[in-house]
Amino acid sequence: MSGWQSALRAGKVQVGLGLLIILLLVALLAPVLAPHDPREQDILNTLTPPAWDAEGSAEYPMGTDSLGRCILSQVIYGSRTALTVAFAAATGSMLLGCLLALVAGYLGGKTDWLVTRMVDLWMSFPPVVLSLLLMVGLGTGVRNVVLAIVLVDWTRFCRVVRSDVIVTRRRDYVTAARLLGFSHLRTIIREILPAAAPLMITMFSLEMGIAVIVEATLSFVGLSVGADVPAWGVMIADGRGYVHQAPWAMIAPMIAIFAAILAFNLLGDGLRSALDPRLRTSRI
Amino acid sequence: MSEMQTHPVLALDGVTLQAGTGNKTIELLRDISFTVERGRTLGLVGESGAGKSMIGRLISGLLPPSFQVAAGRLLFDGADLTGQSAAARRALLGRRIAFVPQEPLSALNPVLSIGRQFAEHLARLGVPDRQRQDRAAEWLAAVHLPEPRAMLRRYPHELSGGQCQRVLIAMAFSSEPSLIVADEPTTALDVITQARIMQLLKEQQALHGAAVVLITHDLHLAAQVCDEVGVMYAGDMVERGPASAVLRAPFHPYTRSLRNSVPALDGPRRILPALPDQMPGVMALAGLGGCRFAPRCPSRDTACAGALPPWHEVGPAHRVRCADACLGADFPPAADVPDGLIRLPSEAPAVLELCDVSLHYAGRRGLFGRPAATIAAVHEVSLTVGPGEFVGLVGESGSGKSSVARLVMGLERPTSGRLLLEGHDPLTADQPLLRALREHVQIVFQDPQSALNPRRNVFSLVTQALEVSGHRVDRPERRRQARRLIEETGLPADCLPRVPSQLSGGQKQRVNIARALCVTPRLLVADEIVSGLDVSVQAQILNLLLRLGRELGISLLFISHDLAVVRYLCSRVAVMYRGRIVETGDTEEVFANPRHAYTRSLLEAVPSNRPPVDLAG
Amino acid sequence: MLRLVLEVVGRRLLTALPMIVLVSIVVFVILRAIPVDPVAMLLPPGATAEDAAALRAAFGLDLPLPVQYWIWLKHAAMGDLGQSIFFRESVGGLLARAFPATMELSLVSLALALVFSVPGGLLCYAQNTRLGRMLADLGIVTSLSVPSFLWAIFFILLVGVAFPILPFTGRISGDTMLPNITGFLLIDLLITGRLHDWGDAALHLLLPSLSLALSFAPSVIRVLRSSLMDAAHDDYVTYARQRGVGEGRVLVHHMFRNAALPTITLIGVQFGFLFGGTLLVELIFSFPGLGNLMVQAVRNHDMPLIQGAALVFCIVVLLTNAFVDALYVVLNPRLARRA
Repeated sequence: MSGWQSALRAGKVQVGLGLLIILLLVALLAPVLAPHDPREQDILNTLTPPAWDAEGSAEYPMGTDSLGRCILSQVIYGSRTALTVAFAAATGSMLLGCLLALVAGYLGGKTDWLVTRMVDLWMSFPPVVLSLLLMVGLGTGVRNVVLAIVLVDWTRFCRVVRSDVIVTRRRDYVTAARLLGFSHLRTIIREILPAAAPLMITMFSLEMGIAVIVEATLSFVGLSVGADVPAWGVMIADGRGYVHQAPWAMIAPMIAIFAAILAFNLLGDGLRSALDPRLRTSRI
Repeated sequence: MSEMQTHPVLALDGVTLQAGTGNKTIELLRDISFTVERGRTLGLVGESGAGKSMIGRLISGLLPPSFQVAAGRLLFDGADLTGQSAAARRALLGRRIAFVPQEPLSALNPVLSIGRQFAEHLARLGVPDRQRQDRAAEWLAAVHLPEPRAMLRRYPHELSGGQCQRVLIAMAFSSEPSLIVADEPTTALDVITQARIMQLLKEQQALHGAAVVLITHDLHLAAQVCDEVGVMYAGDMVERGPASAVLRAPFHPYTRSLRNSVPALDGPRRILPALPDQMPGVMALAGLGGCRFAPRCPSRDTACAGALPPWHEVGPAHRVRCADACLGADFPPAADVPDGLIRLPSEAPAVLELCDVSLHYAGRRGLFGRPAATIAAVHEVSLTVGPGEFVGLVGESGSGKSSVARLVMGLERPTSGRLLLEGHDPLTADQPLLRALREHVQIVFQDPQSALNPRRNVFSLVTQALEVSGHRVDRPERRRQARRLIEETGLPADCLPRVPSQLSGGQKQRVNIARALCVTPRLLVADEIVSGLDVSVQAQILNLLLRLGRELGISLLFISHDLAVVRYLCSRVAVMYRGRIVETGDTEEVFANPRHAYTRSLLEAVPSNRPPVDLAG
Repeated sequence: MLRLVLEVVGRRLLTALPMIVLVSIVVFVILRAIPVDPVAMLLPPGATAEDAAALRAAFGLDLPLPVQYWIWLKHAAMGDLGQSIFFRESVGGLLARAFPATMELSLVSLALALVFSVPGGLLCYAQNTRLGRMLADLGIVTSLSVPSFLWAIFFILLVGVAFPILPFTGRISGDTMLPNITGFLLIDLLITGRLHDWGDAALHLLLPSLSLALSFAPSVIRVLRSSLMDAAHDDYVTYARQRGVGEGRVLVHHMFRNAALPTITLIGVQFGFLFGGTLLVELIFSFPGLGNLMVQAVRNHDMPLIQGAALVFCIVVLLTNAFVDALYVVLNPRLARRA
């Protein structure tokens, strides 16, 4: 498809994809890249400065936190948490949201009304508040974080994809398919789904960025993954206590969060511009 | 009013417009020359993409930065516009040069009232603040709009297309311009409204003595309202002269084919010529030196493709740009199109029968449960279509013809009355019979953009019906079917792997038809399927339908607002007005001797029916 | 037109009421699924099981779920939202003090965001060189990738640690007595004529609202820019140019009015997110608002307070939606006058 080809050639997509691949590699190769076990505490070397500082050492390239844990290792392992949560949560919300959107948008009538009311209800909660509540109710842990994000963000997918499905539904070619004898299921799969696919993929990428933010927010409050799992948000929350002595404990995870979100946004944005047929037509 | 007018209002002298940069330049307009005098109307006639709108944009100066005038002069009241600055050009716009746009409803800002927009325009003309509302109301009255003051407070979406166009004409004339450029001002309007708006335009022109450039694709319209006509093809002006001469006795092969390709409402019925392919698009222009019509021309000289042909004087002020040998050449009428239209013996059982069918919609309810009136989209309509018969359904927008189509297709259920397909009522049929009945009726949609899934290629589109269980065939068989359908509808064999965005309008419509033919239907319902097409492409599709009718014996319910097309295609016609059928019968009979007042008004509004120009023969 | 506005608002409010009830039910159900016992935190060490049971009964936690909810609903309908387990104060009182602070912060952030995004959107749209467009694009994507709490921490690092010039804790310096007329400090201090304190309060608002505004503005800029790009192709724009209207006027007077509509819808939707996003920002700046309260309640498993705070958040979102709908009807003539 020419749309995908032009997508791959677009600068934003390339940079975003590149950043994403770097992150993936960091996460996958964490045991190789990280100089230490992120949970290992070295009580003799707490709050040491980073390696480029006069008093720092190469053993802890970014220094250590208040418990003597290597900051760089925490950041590297934190990428695993972030990417796992991002990918799983985005997949879950996409599946749930798009399924409901397809059904509601295609069938219309009472089904649509019901789904729309549910989405409205869900969206009366500010997402941060709702995810916080869910974490309180579900308890901590990676699986619960993913579940909480899915339960909050499916509405975003549902709302956007539903309008797209409704627009496609009105096209004559969908009516034509039905008139040719296509069953509802076949019509949805062959005619409507391919039209909504570019939008879904764009949103998937953006959702991963949102999931990173939510996870960081939750771990900042202390309600995310368990205490033993390295997470960027936790690092920032802890780092606030000793920001004067070891600012890198906060700065490093901040940069990591920013880089991850930027990667997903670039990718999603680039895909959106490349796959939107309106933006592709030349103007004479 | 006698004035010593030394200059024509508008004069183009050898203008060539180029786009692109470096070695990739395309000449969008080549060596265009014409003049328009005060009080006269020049028609720029051609199919879409011919360059006539480009001339309008050239006059307004609103061109993208990569476009430049490579040669020639553009003179307005004697002054050369090409050398002017953008600011100087802008000073002329809305004042001495005014435009009447094509889509009246969207040409006005939807969030501002009519009054505010008119006031903005009058402010630009220097009218002091306290006079603006009064002057605006005066102008609205001058264009015969009722209750001008109330109209000023309204918003564009509250007006009809015709009313908006009157407002736009009022705004155009309010500056007492020397030149009016009207770009397809009536294309988006109904036939009757069209006639009224053109009348208004002529009236205002006579009052204020402006020169008018009318850009249109409608030959008959140009013949009726214009004094001079210039025919455009792919950026060239191929013929120019007095309207009656150019359109009654043209010399250029293209003009001749254009004239012959438009179905006529009166005179003997003749088979439309077979003009192959379509006009080259902008991208293809780069490779075409010489006469750009040569690839399609029935008479081709070797010299034609080499250099731009010279001008020949063929009559008083009548010039043609063509090689000597090709002047007056004609396309033969399409060979395989049946001569007569099928008329049926009365005992033949009907393929489609509507008996007093009505379709009513409930209106909207307010917040507090107030019931609203029901809307009768279709009211007690009775219609039959026999096997192999072509029946036309005409009416303006909102007459209910599309609702009839939806009823026939089973997309809506009639509120009352009976609808029979091949003698059976689909509502009481059992599943297998219902499926068979539904297959026997297929629809061809109007808008090929919306009717073809942009992600499927032609192969998958035309054989789409074979994906349903019960019709599943293996791949080789599917390929065979695809090739058969392609051939039947006159599409080139290499188009199978293409997607709709790579097809032309005519090709898309053929794919549309091919898809409907896949399951060998008995009845085709065609809802305005040629409305958006160029004249020559329209002729191709109409001839295709006639050929299919004879070869496959299918019936056709042809829904259209274009009476001439219906006359060419259908043996019987039904006229719809506000949900009711007001007249039915033999096409020739109804059009020659209309009995109902509405039918009469429709026929009178169609430009070809009016003197002085007789285009028959 | 007033009739239509009232109709729209009325319809929204009518659906809002059952929504609020549903919301409270959802919150109730979620919270009761907690694996942790809320009273466990309040028990002194060495407490016996009977003590725990007695404390639970005192808080009514031993009753079945629907009964607990019904009791809560009855009280809430009369304005009594219960007693905070942790603070030992009425939930209503706590909320009444915290809500205006957060509202003030949100509104100031919204105002700042608009100040950034309207010229920003116009500027980004007006770029017609390839470089300019690319820079605008990059700028938008980059600033979209910085969530509000990152801005907050960044400002603290910059202004608190590196160059300590601005305050970054609380609403006002020191322990001055605050007038409590509207709860909005910027208004109250102005009314009572305490201009020095007004300046102080404004400075305290600056960093938190800047953090929120900077995370909010990019999405508004993006929507404004794409709406303007859509409007640029519209027929009325071409016709206005054909009438000789200058580019500046075309942009501001014609295009912007049309582009504003989808932008306002977005702002309405996003305001709810903004209001919820105050959570972390308030936490980071020790700003005594609703978000801060919510986080504390959550950390302490303080059910009544969580319930009450969640309710307030939802009510704000629903009211914002109603307001935006009404505004849209007022601004969009196609809805205001049904032909």
